[in-house]
Amino acid sequence: MSFEEQVDDIEANTILGGEPFFSRAGGKIFIIWLGFTIVGVLIGVYAPHHLLPTLLSPQGSDVWKTIVVFTVLAAPVAAFVYAVSFYSLFAWRHKGNQDEPPPDAMPQRGNGPMTVVWLAISSLLVVVLLFWGITVWNTQQVTHANTLQVNVTGQQWLWTYSYPGTGVETRTLELPLNRPVEFNITSVDVTHGFWPAVLGVQVDANPNVTTIIRTTPDKLGNFTVRCSQLCGLYHAFMNNKAAVVTPQQFSAWLQGLGATQAAADQTAGISSSASSPTTTLPDATTATPTTVPGETATTLTPDTTAPATTAPATTVPDGSTTTTGPAGIPTTTAPA
Amino acid sequence: MTTALAPPLLEDTKLGPNAGGLYERLNIWTGLGFGIFLGFVAWVVSHATLQGSNWGTDMVVTCTMLGWVIGFNIGIGTFNAPIRWMLGHDQTHEDELYVAGVGQGRHRYLKYCTDHKVVGTQYLVLVMVLFAVGGTLAMMIRTQLITAHSSFLDPQTYNAIVTVHGMVMIIATIVMVSGPFANFIMPIMIGAKDMAFPRLNAMSFWVIFSAVPCILATFFLGGVNAGWTTYAPLSVQAPPAMDAFAMCIIVFVVSVTVAGVNTIVTVVTMRAKGMTMGRLPIFTWGSIIGAGLGLYAMPAFLLAMTMMITDRVTGTSFFVAAYGGSGWLWENVFWIMGHPEVYVILIPPVAAVLEIASTFARKPVFGYKVAIAGFVAIASLAIMVWAHHMFTTGWAPNLAGPFMLTTELISIPTGIIFLCTIGTLWKGSIWTRLPMYFVYLFIWNFIIGGVTGIYLSDVPADQYFHGDMFVTAHFHYTLLGGAMIGATAAVCYWFPKMSGKMLNERIGKVAFWLIAIGIQVTYFGQFWEGFQGMPRRVAYYDPQFLSANQMSTIGAYTLMAGWLVFLYMMLHGWRNGKIAPANPWHSKTLEWKVPTPVPLENFLVDPVVTSDPYTYGEGVPDGQEVPDFAPSDDPELVPAGSAGSGAQTDAGGDH
Amino acid sequence: MTADESTASVTDADPTGSGKIKPLGLIATFVVALIGLGGVAAFFMSQDYKSPNYPNGVQVAKSLGTEEVNGQSVPHVSLAFDTYPDSTGTVNGKPIHPSGNPGWPAYGMTNDFQVPAHSLVTVTVRQYDSGEPLNNPWFANVVGTVDGTATVDGQTVTHTDPETIGHTFTMRSVPGVDSNFFLNIPLPAVAGEDQTDDGEYHTVTFSFMAGNAGTYAWNCEFPCGNMVAGFGGVMSAYGFMSGFFHVV
Repeated sequence: MSFEEQVDDIEANTILGGEPFFSRAGGKIFIIWLGFTIVGVLIGVYAPHHLLPTLLSPQGSDVWKTIVVFTVLAAPVAAFVYAVSFYSLFAWRHKGNQDEPPPDAMPQRGNGPMTVVWLAISSLLVVVLLFWGITVWNTQQVTHANTLQVNVTGQQWLWTYSYPGTGVETRTLELPLNRPVEFNITSVDVTHGFWPAVLGVQVDANPNVTTIIRTTPDKLGNFTVRCSQLCGLYHAFMNNKAAVVTPQQFSAWLQGLGATQAAADQTAGISSSASSPTTTLPDATTATPTTVPGETATTLTPDTTAPATTAPATTVPDGSTTTTGPAGIPTTTAPA
Repeated sequence: MTTALAPPLLEDTKLGPNAGGLYERLNIWTGLGFGIFLGFVAWVVSHATLQGSNWGTDMVVTCTMLGWVIGFNIGIGTFNAPIRWMLGHDQTHEDELYVAGVGQGRHRYLKYCTDHKVVGTQYLVLVMVLFAVGGTLAMMIRTQLITAHSSFLDPQTYNAIVTVHGMVMIIATIVMVSGPFANFIMPIMIGAKDMAFPRLNAMSFWVIFSAVPCILATFFLGGVNAGWTTYAPLSVQAPPAMDAFAMCIIVFVVSVTVAGVNTIVTVVTMRAKGMTMGRLPIFTWGSIIGAGLGLYAMPAFLLAMTMMITDRVTGTSFFVAAYGGSGWLWENVFWIMGHPEVYVILIPPVAAVLEIASTFARKPVFGYKVAIAGFVAIASLAIMVWAHHMFTTGWAPNLAGPFMLTTELISIPTGIIFLCTIGTLWKGSIWTRLPMYFVYLFIWNFIIGGVTGIYLSDVPADQYFHGDMFVTAHFHYTLLGGAMIGATAAVCYWFPKMSGKMLNERIGKVAFWLIAIGIQVTYFGQFWEGFQGMPRRVAYYDPQFLSANQMSTIGAYTLMAGWLVFLYMMLHGWRNGKIAPANPWHSKTLEWKVPTPVPLENFLVDPVVTSDPYTYGEGVPDGQEVPDFAPSDDPELVPAGSAGSGAQTDAGGDH
Repeated sequence: MTADESTASVTDADPTGSGKIKPLGLIATFVVALIGLGGVAAFFMSQDYKSPNYPNGVQVAKSLGTEEVNGQSVPHVSLAFDTYPDSTGTVNGKPIHPSGNPGWPAYGMTNDFQVPAHSLVTVTVRQYDSGEPLNNPWFANVVGTVDGTATVDGQTVTHTDPETIGHTFTMRSVPGVDSNFFLNIPLPAVAGEDQTDDGEYHTVTFSFMAGNAGTYAWNCEFPCGNMVAGFGGVMSAYGFMSGFFHVV
């Protein structure tokens, strides 16, 4: 096009004037964009559920929800970039002799309104993403009263777990259903990554420091704890099996490892006066199916069930419950 | 082109028999010889004096590497000029011409040569070699992972390969655009005759060259088992290979710092008359912003590695908790370098992509000033996001929110750059030559890489993904799929100017599709692995991850095939390609207005700069021109056998 | 664009064109220089640090017939190995380790073992090395044997003194083979200093049930290396204090 024709073309194709929308480039790109966006949204809504393993806690569900929301929000942006790029290849590609350049295109050096709109939308998206992330993060910082304490020790190349008050130290992890748990994690040598992925939480194990993560498992199931921070020769083998079980099964497991029944029941959150399982947690009988929907977590709030007398037995013996500096106390415990 | 009217070319100067002094005898082989010699001497001396002490082997390794690096640089002549100046016997003009490569033909590529074009070509070849090394290591990794419990590699060797693959690729990607193109092309683009510090230019190349054997030596010293991020205290515990690794980094940072200073000073002080900052091609802006960010970030790497060496060799305990240190100190200092560093890697290729998009859409860069502001914003924010690599370390949980904020903010200027790219394509006249293919692949890949980064920037979601293959796939999409593909586009674009030959685009398209498909298959396989929960840096994995790994390995072999075809295309083109005209892409930047091959001083007459190089479609003569003193050597206009006919004239805005 | 190379050549007198270089030659030179030098330089230093470390073949367990375990009849096999303080030493004229480094202990004479799946494996270990406290006293417990005990110099124990451990034999499967399997046997230290490969030793015997077929990884969990937490040096090198256990 000559320069004058190009100027006419620009003026003819302003958003509010000119030819019908869908026969112009803008309209066609809109349709392509819509198609890509729909595909992206569908992928975002349906794919993560199939790609992720079964998540066993609200924190795990938060991960899934975040992936869905972020994908759905990002889809229109990605779709727009793809739509313009692909359309440019179909509609404006120079089809003649490829050895010679095509005639010059229009001398458009920018578009103020477009830039402002783009900035505004991307800023808004960032605000939404940030708000979402901070809100979810804050819910994970909430501490509960009747929390099960688990001391986790990372070493090259094994995780060991101890349950304060029971004298049990073991290399597999079991957690009672619906009981908030606080992991106190440290290392005896190098940095490891404590990663019970399906619980939706993770933190490194650092030497001479205790780091803490909190979660409340709300589904029964088996899972694997892996090490996520390269720790040397056998990093790949630093896995152990783990499970979320009913409080009764948890207490029985602890007793099998040498705890007294009283200590095991207290740690499991079963009231110590109970001799028959039916008088304990109200959801004990409903906890046996392995795919309990999320509502189960909300019917049992930790603050209302376990008697206050169990609380002292579950605090960390050395009294440190927050992340400490380099002078922190190592939390390894000796075997019985 | 020598006619009776052309001035005598500088490169045709006949030099006297003693021109160059010691440089006449020095080249890469003397560098090697002297490096081995001094390394051996250092080994003998340190072995005899230090071996028995507590960290003996580590001290020996450190001293030997130092001996090698200094010896190599003595042997290639890095120190000649400064020492002569100190002795009051400075280089004469003849010496300087010799060192600029006059009269040596192709041997100057193996010597200390101050001609920025030679240095640029040397960097290009070095980058190719580094990618070959890193790529071979990557194929070994993927071959190990094709089954869940492969016995191809033992755990120690695997960790060593993972570490060296990562570091070699990081080195290669840091220099892949700033080495070849900011050296060869950028000075011509701004109308300069060379860079501000030609000797430092040559030094930066040979210093980085001497750093590479240090990292390759790690395989013989037990291998570094800590990944390229070499987190302490694991790296303090590592075999003596870690000392060689640290020495490589220290030397590498020296090189990058020198090169960065050179780039920035060149652009600030040596632009041609009329070339204001606002008329600079966008690639130049990207180069100096990337270089400036590197000057901020890379010293932190040198600092971290120095502390690492003292921890390992002299008993300090910066990072060893048992004696009062902290692994978190390492992680912070490292990532203060490590995050800006990925933008040092990314910004120059993205600027090159904008440059190429403009030329091949025959349109100005959309939002030139906005894009520059975007680059500056990315560089500024990059300084403030480092702890998003540390969300799950347990360090400063209160800072999770602020770092989430800065990390998500950085997506705004990154998005602006995308707007400028697609805005350049909007209603352009798209000329689908090989460089443009890679521009489109860049757009596709970098969107995926950028979007997946958003998941990782969210702290709760990062608790699932940190340390698993999702992270690996994300950064490979951005660094390989984004930055490296941008660099590949730059190679295809500037190859005719640097080598004087055209690439065979039919072969190039085969390579392109293999690479494009290979990237998607390889890294979507790794996203899948990450969703399933497979950790990074493992040689053996749970068989539930088998399908995803097989997908990724098949993709990797496809990708490798694509790069091999691309390499073949480059070598074939370099030797047998069609002779390239001076401006095959009919671009408007200055480097295309000089003949190919480029004369030693780039410009036979001063360029005339009256506007920026984006006057497509404006119906005006080019704003950046070199007035013809001698007839053009464009083969199209010069009939066979003729000594040259009249000057080529520009017909409006169309070539 | 003209296709005829010969006519359109730029000045042949121009010495500056990089089109004149032989790119393959330049690349080859760089490769030779970089890789060759990496190797040459490292050769000298490898005199102080021998690596890689590949052990001496696979020890296949000897068959001892069958045994009754929990009412089932299973194959019974035996293995034997030792832990030596000095990997550069020899036993009966054979080197303990093909690439031993001075000051490094080693398991010998092999680091790889093979047993049938779900068999009863009885292992006899002679521990020649001295020792010190563990990083984590938990590893002084006997874990994973058929009856939870091991025999040390004839005495049945469920754990040993965590302050004087020489090495441990700790084994788990590679991911996905058998997550229920875990074995940890503490090997008590020989008292005093200056242990030798043919000096005093403790005999430790234990029996365990091999798990599902697949690869298992064993390693020593006692910090007998140097550097941070004692897990550097020999402990970071595959094949001295670590190896594979093949259940077939």
